[in-house]
Amino acid sequence: MANLPDEKFIERIADGIELMEPEAAPTRLKAKVYSALMQQQAKRSPLLSLTEISARGQKLCVFEKLVQIAPVGESAKSLNICRVCHARVLAEHMESPPIYWSGCPYVELKNS
Amino acid sequence: MHSLGQQTSGEPQTISSSPDEDSKLVAAILLKDRKATAEFVARYADDLYSYVRSRLAPRYDQVEDLVQEVFLTAWQSLSQYRGTGSLQAWVTGIARHKVEDYYRARLRMPESIEDADQGPATSSLASNFHELMEQDQLRKNTWRVLAGLSEQHRLALIWRYWDKASAREMALKTGKTEKAIERLLARARAEFRERWNHGQSS
Repeated sequence: MANLPDEKFIERIADGIELMEPEAAPTRLKAKVYSALMQQQAKRSPLLSLTEISARGQKLCVFEKLVQIAPVGESAKSLNICRVCHARVLAEHMESPPIYWSGCPYVELKNS
Repeated sequence: MHSLGQQTSGEPQTISSSPDEDSKLVAAILLKDRKATAEFVARYADDLYSYVRSRLAPRYDQVEDLVQEVFLTAWQSLSQYRGTGSLQAWVTGIARHKVEDYYRARLRMPESIEDADQGPATSSLASNFHELMEQDQLRKNTWRVLAGLSEQHRLALIWRYWDKASAREMALKTGKTEKAIERLLARARAEFRERWNHGQSS
């Protein structure tokens, strides 16, 4: 190695050493990414309604369930209701947010 | 949700999902199924974060913004995903482009030495370092040396030798001449080796 030209020297190191080490993304980041994606999706057209999501066998959180069974139109059930949920705020700002109810995407992200 | 395990190579780890699962997930996201979007984030956030972090280190302040950009771009382009390769490879490709954009922007700036800590150099290299150091120690040493370089030298070396971009490709993407890139790389290699040798002697 001592006699190798600089280029060969670095090539040998780069071929033998991978820089990446596994590191879990912060929960806050996952929550922010999810919120940003939902915001983008909702901006263009309505989200898939909670009724349809439930029909596809997906689990709804307690708040989504309330909206789903409420006597309101489908358009209200297609809103991004996470936007006004305290779980979102907590998840975006805390590494271990005190949110536990099942079916909540922020809880799922916390546990992923 | 798919659980994410450990990875050991340069590529983000392979996440076990079949092409059929990938296609179903993509279709659900395009339908704006919020649960599918959450699964998308849960599946790939750790890998993308590890990858971007390793390419930007030790400048971690940009990592989260870049990861978010990767996801937003992926969502905007998701209708173009054809399922010919894995969704993971597709998303990783977007991350690579974003990291290259970052390199490009940083390498276009005038070269500066303000972030290189100045250390003495010289001394000889150990004759066979593979025998002397374990892989982990070698990785730490590589990071120590890379972290001590100026940002431009560090990014140029990672782009060229770890991400395997050619000097010509780097020149095209940064708007510099190939000669200028070669000169930058030569200076970066010399600085890397000097610091490496100094680390061996101290």
